[in-house]
Amino acid sequence: MTIMDIVQEASFAEVPLSADECLKCNVCNTVCPVARVTDRFPGPKYVGPQAQRFRIATILPPQAPSTPVLASPDATVDYCSGCGMCTSACPADVKIAEMNSRARAEIKAGHRPRLRDWLLGQTDLVGRLGVAFAPLANWTLHNRLTRTVIEWTIGIHRRAPLPVFARSTLRSRLAARTKGSGREAGGPGEPPPDRAVVLFHGCAANYYEPHVAFAAIEVLRRNGFETIAPEQVCCGLPFISNGLYGRARNRAATNLGVFADYARRGYRIVGTSTSCTHTLKAEYREMLDVDDDDARAVAAATWDICEFLLDLHDQGRLDTTFGRLDETLPYHAPCQLRSHGIGLPALDLFALVPGLQAIDMDHDCCGIAGTYGLKKEKYDIAMAVGDPLFQRLRATASARVACDSETCRWQIEQATDRPAKHPIEIIAAAYAAGYAASGAAAAGPGRSEGAAANR
Amino acid sequence: MPTSDVVVVGAGLAGLTAAIALADAGAAVTVVARGHAATHWTAGGIDVAAPPQSSTAAEGLARLKAVPGHPYSFLEADVRPGIDWLTSVLAAEGLTYAGDLDEPLRTVPTSIGSTRRVALVPDAQSAALTPWSPDERLVVAGPVGYKDFWPATIAASLERPRVWGGSDVAGARPSRVDAVSVELAGLAGRRNLNALHLARMFDDSAWREAAFAAIAAAVERRGSGRGRIALPAVLGLTDHAGALRDARRLLPLAPFEVPLVPPSLPGIRLFQALRAALRRRGGRIEVGEEVIRVDHDRRRVTAVVIAAAARERLFRTGGLVLATGGIAGGGLLGRADGSLVEALLGLPVEAPAVGEWLAPDPFDPAGHPLESAGIRTDDGLHPVDAGGKVVFENVAIAGSLLAGQRYLVERCGDGIAIASGRRAASTLGALPAAANASRRREKAAASR
Repeated sequence: MTIMDIVQEASFAEVPLSADECLKCNVCNTVCPVARVTDRFPGPKYVGPQAQRFRIATILPPQAPSTPVLASPDATVDYCSGCGMCTSACPADVKIAEMNSRARAEIKAGHRPRLRDWLLGQTDLVGRLGVAFAPLANWTLHNRLTRTVIEWTIGIHRRAPLPVFARSTLRSRLAARTKGSGREAGGPGEPPPDRAVVLFHGCAANYYEPHVAFAAIEVLRRNGFETIAPEQVCCGLPFISNGLYGRARNRAATNLGVFADYARRGYRIVGTSTSCTHTLKAEYREMLDVDDDDARAVAAATWDICEFLLDLHDQGRLDTTFGRLDETLPYHAPCQLRSHGIGLPALDLFALVPGLQAIDMDHDCCGIAGTYGLKKEKYDIAMAVGDPLFQRLRATASARVACDSETCRWQIEQATDRPAKHPIEIIAAAYAAGYAASGAAAAGPGRSEGAAANR
Repeated sequence: MPTSDVVVVGAGLAGLTAAIALADAGAAVTVVARGHAATHWTAGGIDVAAPPQSSTAAEGLARLKAVPGHPYSFLEADVRPGIDWLTSVLAAEGLTYAGDLDEPLRTVPTSIGSTRRVALVPDAQSAALTPWSPDERLVVAGPVGYKDFWPATIAASLERPRVWGGSDVAGARPSRVDAVSVELAGLAGRRNLNALHLARMFDDSAWREAAFAAIAAAVERRGSGRGRIALPAVLGLTDHAGALRDARRLLPLAPFEVPLVPPSLPGIRLFQALRAALRRRGGRIEVGEEVIRVDHDRRRVTAVVIAAAARERLFRTGGLVLATGGIAGGGLLGRADGSLVEALLGLPVEAPAVGEWLAPDPFDPAGHPLESAGIRTDDGLHPVDAGGKVVFENVAIAGSLLAGQRYLVERCGDGIAIASGRRAASTLGALPAAANASRRREKAAASR
């Protein structure tokens, strides 16, 4: 195998080979929120492009015979939270955070996974069990004594923000709505792609926050789109973050099997979890080397909910009859959202709502970075990373906060005692306020008729 | 909404200057940059003109103005007003500058024990500007265990008169150079310590009081008498003003910062002040988003195309400031056949033939012909072709992408960045699209 053969494999080698572009300029180290607060992580440059030359094995295709697997020269790469600030700041397009993720996976490959890593990745299993036994599960996960035991045995920090299981899953609620209508996913009455989107609800909306998905469904309906929610599994990001790429690839294969068909038929795939949608868009390829036609079709069809709505607005198709929301609303843009490269669409949507004054908190990362801040040894780091944000939020008089990512919302709620809302909940509330206002004037149309009138 | 009156590509000094000036004029402006620019690597001062043998920046400026094809040949009149305006913008963000273009260029130490000639520097470096009295010593002081600043090495080098230009002109250099290395609390065993780590420690007022006390004691043990202290440029980031004030209050001699290898705190402070000034004026900045293509309708740019995850994002615009940098910044790309191409619009590049890119001597004091490669423009900074015809009516070029400068030798990069950034803003600010901005603002105000 020659170097040219490797370059031929450019799509899979894009991340490892980008180390060659590194100027050693240190810009990544200046923006790393983890290195800012702890010496346990020396900084993205050292564990990323600088260490990459020793990980030459990673640039060989997986099918290469008896590729020697070299250990990462610096195990502190595990302290990378994966927030991606380094990749954003790099003037030379080095994929630093992605490189770090792959290095972590290589360290963990060939070992039996640690119970905690495995558990944090098993979002569907944990979610199903948690919802089934919600009262008991919620008591266990929000009780000081049991949390202490969990910290000792599993290594999840006793004060780390864990969400509350819903009493029933989003899927079961949706199924109850559409049962027998023929309009369920895959049913004969499935609406066509110009009048429907496919929902990637992710684990958070399914097991913890069905109301976020329902807010999205309502807003989409208001704009003339029905929502199809096919059977799906976790996007795999929690496994990617914990270095368990094999298991993540299984999740990717299942999801691509479901969604690629929709993508080819012209449906857009919309998600309320900005980290799930980024996984579908980019991480299957950049991290997992899953880069077939199915993956490309799904990536191209996937939209973050706010990105989707802003695109509608750009085409002049967004219903902008919002009611007034007289509120000053602090907004935190999650690190994962920035990796989309789509700006801050939630802020642009908020600007359309009369009376709503959204304030960008202008902080890089709340610290949680998915599952990072849950871990016993990383909890303090995560809290220190988010501290300037928490201080800024506590200094505002606002009753609530908006943020696109669920784990960030849970972290913010835990740290500041302020409820954190998905932007789509705010948008739904603005529609409701508009409806209430017009309804008060002339007993206006019902909700679904209102949506139909806007088509 | 993916629409702006003007999009600025590049977040260096030129791009941010243009963006702030546009926002000041009421335009809706968005800065898009694929990463952080040279601000994070450079010394944080404002280099206006210091070609070899020039005595003052003003004289250097006048000389470069007379060079045919040099950006100063048509921008010179904008340099002083531009710097006055930008430094007042920066002062409002808490970052003040010192120096005078009409005073002799000053020779100040670097972190490897060499020197450089400057005119305008951040306040933290200003104590290096005044001429040295015959009885004044310099104490180079730094923390033990910090790898980017070696007081003993720096002092040994600065003891050599030729480092200061070899002149025996009165006031050219200190009478003596001493070194002190000081144990500071909490640094023991921190092997990966960089300037940013130290700056964050200096942001902590209790820690820095103790640190300055330790440095003061070490300096006093090294001798008495008049002089100044050279410190690594790590005096705070979020509370730089407080750290500087404490340094002046607690140290026995006047302190000044010496800029370091990257990451450069004076440059990061400059970037952050510019960014804050832009956001305060309602401007937007998106770092980490790369413009990969520009759409145009014959001679007018209509949109920039940004590489987002899994798709291209169209961003409509009424005008474009191209501040993408030269060869080092990625604004110009070299091709295998020896030609140079402008990275985004494929604008005609003025450059020497490939055989004449480099001088035979790598350290030729005149520099290399390739340095002058760039885009030729009219006086409004519109790019022009070889025949002098405007290629795009609503595009302006700013900064080191402009043809005819040799910023490495002439030390003119910051003056050109500021003057051209402001000129670009006035060129594009006069476009019809920008006139919509004030109407839009009124609308926004009315909706609140």
